[in-house]
Amino acid sequence: MKKKKKPQVPFRLNMLFFVVFLLFSALILRLGVVQIVYGEHYRKEVERTENVTVSTPVPRGKIYDRYHRVIVDNTPLNAITYTRSQTTKPEETLEIAQKLAQYIEKPTDKITERDMKDYWILTRPEKAKAKIPKAEREKLQKKWKKEELTNKEIDKKLYELTLERITEDDLKEIKNDELEVLAIKRELDSGYALTPQIVKNKEVTNDEYAVVSEHLEELPGVSTTTDWERHYVYGNTFRSVLGSITSSEEGLPRERLEYFLARDYSRNDRVGKSYLEAQYEDVLHGQKAKVKNITDKSGNVIETKEIYKGQRGKDVVLTIDIELQQKVEKIIEEELMIAKRGGGRELLDRAFVVMMNPKTGEILSMAGKLYTRDEHGKVKLKDYALGTMTSAYAMGSAVKGATVLTGMQTGVIQPGTVLRDEPLYIKGTPVKKSYETMGAINELTALQRSSNVYMFKIAMAIGNAKYRPHHSLPIDPEAFTIMRRYFSQFGLGVKTGIDLPNEIIGFPGNSKLPGHLLDLAIGQFDMYTPLQLAQYVSTIANDGYRMKPQIVKEIREPNNDDHDGTQLGPVIRGFEPVVLNRVDMKMEYIERVQEGFRRVMQTPRGTAGAFFAGKPYRPAGKTGTAEAFYDGPIKSKFMTPTRNLTLVGYAPYDDPEIAFSVVVPWAYQSERNSYPINKKIGEKILDAYFELKQKRISEAQTESSSVPSDSDMSMTEEDEQ
Amino acid sequence: MGNDKTPQQKLDYNLLFILFLMAIISAIAIDSAEPSLPLKLQEVNFAQKQLMWYGVGAFVIAATMIIDYDRFFQIAWYLYGFGMLLLIGLELKVPGTQTIKGATSWYSLGPLGNFQPSELMKIFMIIVLSRIIVNHREKNPNPTIQDDFKLLGKMVLATFPPLLLLMKQPDLGMSMVFTAILGSLLLVSGIRWRIIFGIIFSGIFVTATLVFIFFKFPDFFHKYILKEYQLDRFYGWLAPYEYSNEQGFQLIRSLLAIGSGELYGKGYQNLEVYLPEAHTDFIFGIIAEQFGFIGASIVISLFFLLVYRMIHTALESHDLFGSYLCAGVIGMITFQVFQNIGMTIGLLPITGLPLPFISYGGSSLATYMIAIGLVLNVRSRTKKFMFSSDRQ
Repeated sequence: MKKKKKPQVPFRLNMLFFVVFLLFSALILRLGVVQIVYGEHYRKEVERTENVTVSTPVPRGKIYDRYHRVIVDNTPLNAITYTRSQTTKPEETLEIAQKLAQYIEKPTDKITERDMKDYWILTRPEKAKAKIPKAEREKLQKKWKKEELTNKEIDKKLYELTLERITEDDLKEIKNDELEVLAIKRELDSGYALTPQIVKNKEVTNDEYAVVSEHLEELPGVSTTTDWERHYVYGNTFRSVLGSITSSEEGLPRERLEYFLARDYSRNDRVGKSYLEAQYEDVLHGQKAKVKNITDKSGNVIETKEIYKGQRGKDVVLTIDIELQQKVEKIIEEELMIAKRGGGRELLDRAFVVMMNPKTGEILSMAGKLYTRDEHGKVKLKDYALGTMTSAYAMGSAVKGATVLTGMQTGVIQPGTVLRDEPLYIKGTPVKKSYETMGAINELTALQRSSNVYMFKIAMAIGNAKYRPHHSLPIDPEAFTIMRRYFSQFGLGVKTGIDLPNEIIGFPGNSKLPGHLLDLAIGQFDMYTPLQLAQYVSTIANDGYRMKPQIVKEIREPNNDDHDGTQLGPVIRGFEPVVLNRVDMKMEYIERVQEGFRRVMQTPRGTAGAFFAGKPYRPAGKTGTAEAFYDGPIKSKFMTPTRNLTLVGYAPYDDPEIAFSVVVPWAYQSERNSYPINKKIGEKILDAYFELKQKRISEAQTESSSVPSDSDMSMTEEDEQ
Repeated sequence: MGNDKTPQQKLDYNLLFILFLMAIISAIAIDSAEPSLPLKLQEVNFAQKQLMWYGVGAFVIAATMIIDYDRFFQIAWYLYGFGMLLLIGLELKVPGTQTIKGATSWYSLGPLGNFQPSELMKIFMIIVLSRIIVNHREKNPNPTIQDDFKLLGKMVLATFPPLLLLMKQPDLGMSMVFTAILGSLLLVSGIRWRIIFGIIFSGIFVTATLVFIFFKFPDFFHKYILKEYQLDRFYGWLAPYEYSNEQGFQLIRSLLAIGSGELYGKGYQNLEVYLPEAHTDFIFGIIAEQFGFIGASIVISLFFLLVYRMIHTALESHDLFGSYLCAGVIGMITFQVFQNIGMTIGLLPITGLPLPFISYGGSSLATYMIAIGLVLNVRSRTKKFMFSSDRQ
């Protein structure tokens, strides 16, 4: 097959060679450009390229009340921090720890045995080596080599063996002054690379701070800065809603680690872990200052660039009036203590108050107290403001306003319909009646005197039931759905929409027995939260518009120039009132219920007339006493029959500016021990609100006549004293 | 002068010497790259293993040379079929296949490591294409332009199936090598220049059109031609500092390493810039950083000499098949060298192709050794005439 070639083949081969030549020339040319023309540029780039970015924490945003009084503040602390690089070795941190120990005091209580053993090995290398004699060491190494362990793994195993063989006596060699070095070294080692780790921030004396600052030169990685501690100015007041933040030892919560790391947090950052602090974490946490240290190859810093100046977290202004909140909490505490003095009230352990502006949904006060005993049997009143939205109770007659409106809307009654209040005898159930037989009454009287039977008859009519005494009462189960649908328009049994996490919707009862429909009509079946109750009464006060409860009023830019914290930065975001829905009922119907509520409080025959008739702020409202069964913390008393006392209301009745709910679950077991704690609290909180309002008006007048600026603030402080 | 020497005596010692130098450079480069490898790989002595592979390679060369290369001519299609079977096996993911970084391109050979069948297929491709050209030439001693097109069609048709399978793996680098082999053999096959230029110009035209569409109708481009992530490679290449994707990052590191080597290099084992895949794909960066422009140019020149020796063999051979084999091998090696070095200095986008003879890797080294064996085989069976009658 060997043949003579075509003449073109050598030529084509030469062409191929020429192409190869061109390509290789291109390579050399480009190589020349990269290495010779730009070589110096790249060399410099390499020399300065190994730089480190260090971000330093900034204080969190503050939380203010509606009148700009600081509720949550930051207290500056002197702090000594240490930032380690990726390549720092244990020997280096030991040296720094030894130097630092001369300058600062460090408590040694956190040291573990393991820490001591590590330290012992590091500081006594000869002795540590002697723990595994040479012959044995070689034997082990051989054995492990056979098992195909890498050198690293073998070293680790040898190290572990050495740890095991260190005795108590060995550790006793470590003297007290060494322990301090160890305590410091422990902190130095615990940080993450390139993240400042706090070595000491508690009780750093000015001397310590100064001495360390002077010697920073010989302490690479160490710096003296200011750390911040969260300070809750009003102590326990409102504390559970404010939430809390993690400590720097806890760092980022594990379950949200990815989330935070993706947002440029460091692992030891303190973040909000509950309620307001957690809900507004994005706002409250600041932008860290970022500094880039550019070093040459041997690690000397040749340039420090500030990449980002950093900014402290934005401020959150709450709708809460902290002064009112304090007063309300105090009223609850006092009333709880008084009530607990009487007998037959051993189940009573909590009370709640929610006060909001019915027109805007702004929450002015949200308080709850839990009556507990500590291990010494001493009474303690714990903050339980969260219970207003995370716990639910049978609310009793307070919900009758919704029942009457549901009756009118479904057409079973009209404004002015008269029904007979009489005991109802239904087969198989105890007699159903009001606390007294009222005879023929209309809906206004039914509300005023809190007739149960009037409500029962509404419910029966909705359920198409024909009442015949001593017979069973078949009802249409659809009635449950109808009533709950209208109730939910007032916020009962649905989320109120408050801007806090973990709100519950209450507990609907799950049977559909006729008797339970009647219970539902008087608030003794489904359970609601105190916040839902407040939203319900606000909706009636606000002519049927259900407002979203708001606890945050606005978010403000931090004011960096301002050092005493009285001047706030500009508003970044204000929260406008949000109408969640308008109930279906006509205004005409709502007005009837409003009138009924007025009569409850302003007429002598009203169930709350004794407390509120003649009050200058002319309130309206509705009382509630639910026959409930205990389901609280004392397990042995479970299902004990008891009474939940509630009160809802608003004032002034014709132009409401404040709406409230008072809920006192399990107030007493039998009427013998009754005590109107709901009305007492209700009266006092309304008094407190209008007193504060009056005070503010008079202050504003004096302020406008005489100039001093923050008299508001100074007055508050005097009050506290 | 007759053909009285045994093939062994007619070895091309120049070429073997170049290969010997390559082995030394490879061992030095791999050895110095070892400290910059991930910890789990540092236990392996890659330099030693590479030398071992060179030892194996010597046997491979010998084995390739024993058989007269005419035998390869005869069994060309069987080899091709065998190679295709292996590639189809990968496509079907039969047991024993290995998927690394999303590409199913390997068979696991247990303790011997992984074997990449497309490496072998390159050699088979060269053999088959050479045979196609030879047969075509025999049938049409005076080819018309139609014959030329026919040849072109046959060659493209033969290259297409393995190319398709490689694209699906996906293995862009390897597909480009196959195209390069096809290109170099097309060039030497003797088809008319206008066809060749036609191909070149239509290639340029298509590229230009794509670029035009990309800038003028980006939505259309992203929807029907290339997805955004497929473009990463190009972004990383053209603007590594703006697009710090994987390719961009690798290119920046590579440019830093090579550039900072400057004219004379930093000296043996003085490496400052961390390079990914230092012992395989970016081995040239290691060389250029340590030995500078001078060292790097020497390596390139060595490759040029290698190609020169092969061209020499191709020119001396009286046998068309022999010349074509050499041309194919030249195309393959040249392209791989150009692509690998080109990508480290930002001349071409980054693809995962090793640097022939220098990068660490048993199966690729074995392939080049087979290729070298082929070339040596051709040379050893070339009769030398005092008066060469084929030059006119």
